[in-house]
Amino acid sequence: MLLKTSLRSFFAHKGRMALSLVAVVLSVAFVSGTLVFSNTATSTFDTLFASTASDVSVGPAEPELGGKDTRAKTRTVPVDSVRKVAAVPGVKTAIGQVTVENATLADPATLKKVGPTTGAPTLVGNWVDSPRSPVEITSGHVPQGPDQVVLDADTAKKAKLGLGGKLRVIVNDNRDFTIVGIAAFKTTNPGAALAFLDTATAQSVLLGGPAYTSVEVYGDGSRSDEQLKSDALAGLGAGFEAKTAAEQKADGQKSVGSFLDFMKYAMLGFAGISLLVGGFLIINTFSMLVAQRTREIGLLRAVGGSRGQVNRSVLVEALLLGLAGSTIGIAAGLGLAVGLIQLMNAIGMHLDASDLKIGADVFVAGYAVGVVITVLAALVPALRASRIAPIAALRDHGTPVEARSNTVRAIIGLVLTAGGGGLLVLAAGAEKAATGGRLLGLGVLLTLVGFVVLGPLLATTVVRVLGALLPTLFGPSGRLAQRNAMRNPRRTGATAAALMIGLALVIGASVFTSSVIKSTNNQIDSSVGADYIVSAGPNGVSPEIVAAVRQTQGVDHTTEQKYLEAYFTAPDGKTEKNGISAVTARFTEDFRLPVKEGSPDSLKQGALAIGEDYAKDHGLKVGDPIKVDYGNGRVQSLPVGVVMTKGNQLFDGNTFASLDTVSKAVPAADQPVDAILFAKAAAGADVARTLTGLEDALKQYPQASVRDQAGYKDLVQEQVNTLLYMIYGLLGLAIVVAVLGVVNTLALSVVERTREIGLLRAIGLSRRQLRRMIRLESVVIALFGAVLGTALGLAWGITGQQVLRTQGLETLAVPTTTILLTLGASVVIGLLAALVPAFRAGRMNVLAAIATD
Amino acid sequence: MTTAAAAVYDPQLPGGAPAVAASARQVTKSYGAGETRVTALDAVDVDIQRGRFTAIMGPSGSGKSTLMHCLAGLDTVTEGRIWIGETEITGLKDKQLTRLRRDKIGFIFQAFNLLPTLNALENITLPMDIAGRKPDQAWLDRVVETVGLSDRLRHRPTQLSGGQQQRVAVARALAARPEIIFGDEPTGNLDSRSGAEVLSFLRRSVDELGQTIVMVTHDPVAAGYADRVLFLADGVMVDEMHAPTADSVLERMRRFDGKRTS
Ligand SMILES: Nc1ncnc2c1ncn2[C@@H]1O[C@H](COP(=O)(O)OP(=O)(O)OP(=O)(O)O)[C@@H](O)[C@H]1O
Ligand SMILES: [Mg+2]
Repeated sequence: MLLKTSLRSFFAHKGRMALSLVAVVLSVAFVSGTLVFSNTATSTFDTLFASTASDVSVGPAEPELGGKDTRAKTRTVPVDSVRKVAAVPGVKTAIGQVTVENATLADPATLKKVGPTTGAPTLVGNWVDSPRSPVEITSGHVPQGPDQVVLDADTAKKAKLGLGGKLRVIVNDNRDFTIVGIAAFKTTNPGAALAFLDTATAQSVLLGGPAYTSVEVYGDGSRSDEQLKSDALAGLGAGFEAKTAAEQKADGQKSVGSFLDFMKYAMLGFAGISLLVGGFLIINTFSMLVAQRTREIGLLRAVGGSRGQVNRSVLVEALLLGLAGSTIGIAAGLGLAVGLIQLMNAIGMHLDASDLKIGADVFVAGYAVGVVITVLAALVPALRASRIAPIAALRDHGTPVEARSNTVRAIIGLVLTAGGGGLLVLAAGAEKAATGGRLLGLGVLLTLVGFVVLGPLLATTVVRVLGALLPTLFGPSGRLAQRNAMRNPRRTGATAAALMIGLALVIGASVFTSSVIKSTNNQIDSSVGADYIVSAGPNGVSPEIVAAVRQTQGVDHTTEQKYLEAYFTAPDGKTEKNGISAVTARFTEDFRLPVKEGSPDSLKQGALAIGEDYAKDHGLKVGDPIKVDYGNGRVQSLPVGVVMTKGNQLFDGNTFASLDTVSKAVPAADQPVDAILFAKAAAGADVARTLTGLEDALKQYPQASVRDQAGYKDLVQEQVNTLLYMIYGLLGLAIVVAVLGVVNTLALSVVERTREIGLLRAIGLSRRQLRRMIRLESVVIALFGAVLGTALGLAWGITGQQVLRTQGLETLAVPTTTILLTLGASVVIGLLAALVPAFRAGRMNVLAAIATD
Repeated sequence: MTTAAAAVYDPQLPGGAPAVAASARQVTKSYGAGETRVTALDAVDVDIQRGRFTAIMGPSGSGKSTLMHCLAGLDTVTEGRIWIGETEITGLKDKQLTRLRRDKIGFIFQAFNLLPTLNALENITLPMDIAGRKPDQAWLDRVVETVGLSDRLRHRPTQLSGGQQQRVAVARALAARPEIIFGDEPTGNLDSRSGAEVLSFLRRSVDELGQTIVMVTHDPVAAGYADRVLFLADGVMVDEMHAPTADSVLERMRRFDGKRTS
């Protein structure tokens, strides 16, 4: 009987339920979509790694020092190690492999770079007949001879290159090859570009002589991989490192993992937002259903229904909603996963959408999220419903009146908000960023909850202010709208909360990102004197490029910067690994070091410029000696010349020494090529024309790119763009859910106010005026949410900037355009949300409305 | 049993207009079709005289409300024609009807007459607000005075008694000086004392302010306040009575019932 009542009520309120359903569906879709996507991606890559990894891969041991960055030479193993490994018992085949990451592919005709633009690697190596090759030749043949190359199909397609086409391989110098074969990935293309030469050519072009980068070992099955590994290493002696198939797989997963993780966390962020905001929508829906049914429930209680029964009937409805929402949500999640996979395919990471991995976890998580959230959200209204006095059934019909002042709510809300605000202030003033961060997190949470609790109270005041203009601007519709928005503050508050949360996050994050951009730009302006920055990816800036830049008309001088690694031993005896940037003499002219102590000129006298943090950790001051060990017995002791103030992204975490100083310990032949090159325009030279000149000069070096200061700022902007896009995604989602919430509230209000609407129409309110009234109410609610959200977001964003003021975020930037756009958007949201309810109200039959009871 | 009005005035004749505020000719209103067809009004002719208080009586389901709704432009007729003043309203579009109601007609319903979000004064001036007209302050004061609400103007409807609410509704109907006021059982929800108050206000507004009022009622006592009572039965205008008293109306109604049951 109970179930029957619930079911009947559930279907009687299809429309209303549908809106809440959308909220549940969205949340569940994001959660289950994320799971399906990451399961599928993981399994695809598992298959890839499992099917391509050799049993044991033997390579040169990781040196203690020297990163792979911009190293001119790739570390190798000698040719005879193949023979040695092959002799190990249990080894069926041992294959010498050449693979380098520091080569650039280009189309010699256009001089355009060929390969991934997303940061995925370009791998060039030798073609081997390995039992587990990731690729197979689909057209043409394997490379034979010094001018043949095989390219992977995806890269070839993107670069519009085919059999017979020319491909340039750039390592230290350029070599042009003819494409004789196209190879396709057997399982999936993780996004990399692959090019293959024959072994001899690969060795000479890529490694500069006979050697391999690794030896791939395939066992005959008689021994375990572990055994093979230790036997191989024992047979080779020192200087080698080996990885079993399992270890290779783990490495591979780590490399794709970080990207997939980003996707996963972004998606879970979306799921969280839709859950949070959806929760409000559900609470609101059920509150309204309960309010609408006050009379019905009162009657049920009057004829003897117990509180528990009333309670349960609401919860059963919620359960139905949760189940339905989760089911649809899981289905939608599959769609979302497929969409994501397509997106990945579009950016070059090939996953197979036809092989979705839908585990039990998808269903468990989907239903748990959907059902639990819905039932929890419905609990509040359910309890409220059960408190409805039986007498309510006998009371005159009309909109239920809310308790006017809710002191308890006010006190709780104020305490939370004040506490949260206090925490934010403390966070902003905190000495340490870590402490500040923790305080910020807690402050964000408290202010958010505080605002949600205070929402209904704020609704009365804020809406009065917001709506004050309505009567003057829009006449009677304006006045009616203003009053309507205020008459049910709890509902207005809860409806606006959905929008508030979304916008607070968006505004907070955009304050943060625009502060990042502005701070970095300021730092560039104040400390970079160089006009141009030349970089060349993993290849490094070769001496030819340096020469080309120097010879360009309008360039006055250049500053080279090399990157090395070394062990630093401070006078306190502590040793740690550090990066060291070796710079040429004009560095101190081209860059203004953020000096805390000392003089930049000391670099020329063989001193070091160290960061404030490092100085503090080791109690260093100007003049103290630091022992710098570059490995291979190359050691020098350098005095501290400059201590750099932290907070400038360009210098933080860096140590500088002059190249002359470093060269005293590390001979030029063993130095890596330049990591980066700076150029300064001559006095009187046209800066823009010189940039064009540089671009022309560097055309034949597709691996190199040049940017002026503006271009460099764009680069910073591009780096935060990923974050920005995510923020816009969140904004979109928040808007969708908020619109649903407002539609929901308005639709219900229209139904509740049927008689009022009838009355208004009878005494002469035109359809147009009526629709305007509803639209304005909607806009007021949306604006109210937007105003609260903006206030919260600003508080969060500004505090965040303050917390990180010593970490390079010293300039606050408030994105006024974004804020204005958001407020403008909230008006649009209001108008959109009112579309259907206003239409329905306008169409309402006057007589039927009057007759409704 | 023929209606005298039809013979007195044909709105299509020039010169007759001043005496008549609203009239209906051969108005038929049916609901549904086929088997379930209900004829709520059956070829009704009626004239509402200007500056007079007209009551419409009849048994439940006789079509009183339907007639009122049709006359007031709230409902469309199946057949026949209706005029408000000199304007024929049958065939008007919703937009024009709305404007007509706004500018020429006042309403008093049995219940739920007021907007809960507006105070008494705002409710009273609402029709003028909607029309974008400034209320005539002197007139407004007089109306408010007449209905005795001067000290309650800032109260919300929920803070007023049922009788006071109906008086606000009366004031609202009067304030805009409509050509005609329609009331559907305006005292139906009130006790006899509050009902009497409201009715005497209506009476006074006719006598002192020259208002035209049409009131649907079940109550012979209420009908006794009118100048003229029209009797409806099964959608047909069956009789009328001038200068009624509660007793004469009651007497007439009894005959009515007797005839129906016989
Ligand atoms: N919307 C409708 N659909 C179908 N029939 C209707 C509709 N409205 C009214 N009726 C019918 O028309 C007839 C007249 O109804 P009306 O409401 O005018 O009666 P009334 O005289 O006002 O009655 P009461 O005194 O009970 O208010 C009734 O038989 C009623 O059932
Ligand atoms: Mg009626």
